[in-house]
Amino acid sequence: MSEQSKDVCDPNSAAEASNSEVHSSLGVPGGLSPPASQAATLAGPESPPLGPTDAPLASPPPQAPSEEGDPKALQQAAEEGRAHQAPSAAQPGPAPPAPAQLVQKAHELMWYVLVKDQKRMIIWFPDMVKDVIGSYKKWCRSILRRTSLILARVFGLHLRLTSLHTMEFSLVKALEPEELDRVALSNRMPMTGLLLMILSLIYVKGRGARESAVWNVLRILGLRPWKKHSTFGDVRKLITEEFVQQNYLKYQRVPHVEPPEYEFFWGSRASREITKMQIMEFLARVFKKDPQAWPSRYREALEEARALREADPTAHCPRSSVSED
Amino acid sequence: MEEGRAERRRRTEAPSHPQGGTRRAGVMTDVHRRFLQLLMTHGVLEEWDVRRLQKHCYRVHDRTATVEELEDFINNINSVLGSLYIEIKKGATEDDGRPVYALVNLATTSVSKMASDFAENELDLFRKALELIIDSETGFASSTNILNLVDQLKGKKMRKKEAEQVLQKFVQNKWLIEKEGEFTLHSRAILEMEQYIREMYPDAVKICNICHSLLIQGQSCETCGIRMHLPCTAKYFQSSPEPRCPHCNDYWPHEIPEVFDPEKEREAGTSRANKRSLRSRQH
Repeated sequence: MSEQSKDVCDPNSAAEASNSEVHSSLGVPGGLSPPASQAATLAGPESPPLGPTDAPLASPPPQAPSEEGDPKALQQAAEEGRAHQAPSAAQPGPAPPAPAQLVQKAHELMWYVLVKDQKRMIIWFPDMVKDVIGSYKKWCRSILRRTSLILARVFGLHLRLTSLHTMEFSLVKALEPEELDRVALSNRMPMTGLLLMILSLIYVKGRGARESAVWNVLRILGLRPWKKHSTFGDVRKLITEEFVQQNYLKYQRVPHVEPPEYEFFWGSRASREITKMQIMEFLARVFKKDPQAWPSRYREALEEARALREADPTAHCPRSSVSED
Repeated sequence: MEEGRAERRRRTEAPSHPQGGTRRAGVMTDVHRRFLQLLMTHGVLEEWDVRRLQKHCYRVHDRTATVEELEDFINNINSVLGSLYIEIKKGATEDDGRPVYALVNLATTSVSKMASDFAENELDLFRKALELIIDSETGFASSTNILNLVDQLKGKKMRKKEAEQVLQKFVQNKWLIEKEGEFTLHSRAILEMEQYIREMYPDAVKICNICHSLLIQGQSCETCGIRMHLPCTAKYFQSSPEPRCPHCNDYWPHEIPEVFDPEKEREAGTSRANKRSLRSRQH
């Protein structure tokens, strides 16, 4: 495969970007967003993906065939492969379009998908590129991502790649957990906002959050370890003792560090009651960004949501004392 | 963090589109989402269907809430849809003024909305039919006149027999209505394509003197030529013993139809089946 990766939009990586579940290949990570996209600023260190060749009936990327294989191993191999490709893949090309144009394309694609679904027609990826995306092929990943987000938020529909082999998408109904918005803004439970801030920080970091990092964040809210707060009282006691007792947080000493430092982890109760998707929505709200500005986290959140749905299809969202008014 | 309409509702805003322009103060809940899903599935719905749909969505997702007034409910949703250049548009059937609703794309500037279903020559057939309908005096184009144009179509050559079937496809998809061998635009097509039609045919297009919307079928003043939709004349002349043209004040020579009354419609439920066979209604 040559370094044409930037010229062609890979439906699989695009699908990953749109966070749909891929049943066959799991070996292709979402990849780096194009510079034009806002998401790039907060994206993790992910390399640009390889794309198939230009033919509309291109075979799926090499990783795909080992379908039922170990997804994690595939993913790692893919990422390593990409890391090598990355430097040589950067070619001088046309300037990225204005964000407004990408947004417009996303809207067009949204309508296109809705109409196709309305007419019970197959939503075929090459058609999407030919009919809607056109010359914006290089940015189809970010366009697809935005379209999926809009469809989820406004219509409660997930744009899912149902078959990588045939490159078919379909619109699947989805329910969105909303209690968290209500709770986070509810005056009766201000602690939830505080707790969510910490949980979000831990989640975005992907590992434990040092106490110093947590206080950096809380400082933005005007909270200091030594100051008593009108609502929260002794904040330090609240987060290191009360939340821990309630199993929302874990507060542990960092091993082998002198002088002693502590870090926070998600408590078992937080894992049970709060979904990753709720955290993503919280982040989006607070930072006024797409949840997909944290691509790998958003992906995780979607996977968790899928697992939850499969575990209990009748459940609207996880039951939570946190989310009750 | 914005409270939006949280004072009025328990639910709060969904996160806004980061690059979607100004922040919308709409409230999107699963009730609204389901409503949109189903409205999109049906394409175009009459008002009584829409009300039933709304109630259904509340039943599924929020049993305890009071069902919001339909107009507010729709305006609410439209405030969220605005930044996406789509809206739930309300129109009326041109023959008897039944209110209809459809989710339309405001950004469409061509017939390409239909493009996904139809081949190039089929789309061109529609365009030809559309032109004949707009140019006609009655708002109807005869099947014969449309079929005579098959030789001029772009794309693959189409036979008249085939064209007849394509026209039927348009009827099934609610783009055209057929009445005694003649075709006119379905209210859905008018809702979806009004902007496009007004841009493409600015000279030929007819406008209703009362509501200022696109007019395909209607009545016209024989003296000064202004036109009005049938339901618009019904409302305008409702309590006039002697109807006169609003423009030139000459006697209005046509029969004034009845104003559409949803209540009467419901009572006449059983006879609706009879009505259907007598007139091909737009819905």
